[in-house]
Amino acid sequence: MAVNELLAQLHEVAASPKKQLDKYLKEGKKVVAVTPVYTPQEIIHSMGLVPMGVWGADMEINEAKKYYPAFICSIMQTVLELGIKGEYEGVSAIVIPSLCDSLKTLGQNWKYAVKDIPFIPMTYPQNRKPAYGIKFTKAGYERVIRDLEVATGAHFSEFALAESNKIYNEHNAVMREFAEIAAEAEITAVQRSDVFKSAWFMLPEEHTAIVRKLNEELKNGPKAEGKLKVLVTGILADSPNLLKTFDENGIKIVADDVAHESRQYRTDVPDMENPVDALAQKFADMDNCTLLYDRDKKRVDYIIEQAKKHDAKGVIVLMTKFCDPEEFDYVPIKRACDAAGLMHLNIEVDRQMVNYEQAHTMIQAFKEMF
Amino acid sequence: MYTLGIDIGSTTSKCVLLKDGKEIVGSSIVVAGTGTDGPSQALENVLNSAGVVREDISYTIATGYGRKIFQGADGEISELSCHARGVHFVFPDVYTVIDIGGQDAKVLSLNDQGRMMNFAMNDKCAAGTGRFLDVMASILKLDISDLEKEAAKAQNPASISSTCTVFAESEVISQMAAGTDLPDLVAGICQSVATRVASLARRVGIKERVCMSGGVARNAGVRNAMSKELGVEIVYSDMAQLMGALGAALYAYDKAKDSNPTVS
Repeated sequence: MAVNELLAQLHEVAASPKKQLDKYLKEGKKVVAVTPVYTPQEIIHSMGLVPMGVWGADMEINEAKKYYPAFICSIMQTVLELGIKGEYEGVSAIVIPSLCDSLKTLGQNWKYAVKDIPFIPMTYPQNRKPAYGIKFTKAGYERVIRDLEVATGAHFSEFALAESNKIYNEHNAVMREFAEIAAEAEITAVQRSDVFKSAWFMLPEEHTAIVRKLNEELKNGPKAEGKLKVLVTGILADSPNLLKTFDENGIKIVADDVAHESRQYRTDVPDMENPVDALAQKFADMDNCTLLYDRDKKRVDYIIEQAKKHDAKGVIVLMTKFCDPEEFDYVPIKRACDAAGLMHLNIEVDRQMVNYEQAHTMIQAFKEMF
Repeated sequence: MYTLGIDIGSTTSKCVLLKDGKEIVGSSIVVAGTGTDGPSQALENVLNSAGVVREDISYTIATGYGRKIFQGADGEISELSCHARGVHFVFPDVYTVIDIGGQDAKVLSLNDQGRMMNFAMNDKCAAGTGRFLDVMASILKLDISDLEKEAAKAQNPASISSTCTVFAESEVISQMAAGTDLPDLVAGICQSVATRVASLARRVGIKERVCMSGGVARNAGVRNAMSKELGVEIVYSDMAQLMGALGAALYAYDKAKDSNPTVS
């Protein structure tokens, strides 16, 4: 299949998650919604359920305002808005982790605002690496398993989880490969985003199959020439209105540190005897993310390393409005970019942006600096 | 060779006509911005004032909020780059440019060659912009050009919110009701703009000399408040409002030269 057909297929999925939900429901599958940033999708998958990502949508917020002040993450607000408005109808449960304060409030508000979709909390430890932290994560996973069994009637088996861990590792590998190939290939920022976004709405084995083919085609296809190479960092970078400005200005995303994109695929489940232990170890092994506690802020060095590795000339920070963890990290990132001689740009984004004119001007001016 | 820069802002349209990339032979400012006939009027005015016809212009660059929809340009460049270029042309020793326009504020950091190395723009908010001053002048029933004179007479500048135009509006009304002197109120309003934009400037970093450009730079009340707020001298040109158009005309000259290398 040609590159354009494969990209069109993924675009269709990325642009119409509701259609995808209806398709799985029609096939008799049960779907479990998973919110940002990390949830044990492997467990959900192993129980024969379809994990589908819910990261909100670019829309006006009305109903969720009953539960939230204006100054809180619009990703969370729009997830709740969509829940209240029945967009997730048919979903059997929603797993919400405790990785930031906004997520904690989402879980609590969900219980009252969307009563027909059970809320399953996933409480992660702050200190995930020591043995007691791993034990805490494992206990959280065991609670998720129990809650999923109650909410969906599905059963858990270690054997099935071991298989799902492998399937997810395979998906991780193919997505990491895609990110590297896309850094060189003639592919737009919007198309690149479609590949990452569609992963949230498909079973990993289905997505792996398509992206694997896409990788082969892109490897043999034309290479992007004469573009300004940048690394993009942030929570979310899926707005076509914003991303098309990258393309219009000849800006090429050669690497990302986006929570919705590459941060998901960096760490594999290790090969261990007990698959739940292995999954808890995976969380302990994860790093370089705003939402994962790290007093040394190694993420900052990681961003610079990745930028240099991919020959990026600049770093574009897409700052989700009211995201305190990302805002705290911005200052050391900015300083590290200055020290490394990397141009940087900070653009505030949120789910309620209607007019992108200011962001367009900033991106254009950024390009003109080179 | 003539080149033209047209800066189409949210509230005004500005043109600068340049001869051989060095001499400003005409300029115009029309108080009507994008979506109006302001750009075409500004263009007509600059041509008439310089006695030049459209066909004499080798290259035109549009900049500003309306740069993408203006039909008469050969190219478009962001207003940030154009302000940097225009200010460097007038003040080659300036490293920081504070540009406050009708609906946004920008701070630009320049290197020795006048190249923009970093910048910051305000949030999508009227506070710290020309729009804020318009709203306040209207409440006080003053012409925008009178703000400067009133601010100069202030004894004890009032404290006005720098975070929100709507809050500031009700604060000003309350202060009027409480009998605060008009000059003190106006000085407080100028201070409010300066405080807001100074925090933006600190994000980029202040390196002297500092220049203010854009329409709001004409207001000495804001310039003085900014100078005090940042603790630096602020340089200013009578052409402050035309810096974007000037930068665009300079870029247009580069383009014209590129397309015709025999021209020096």
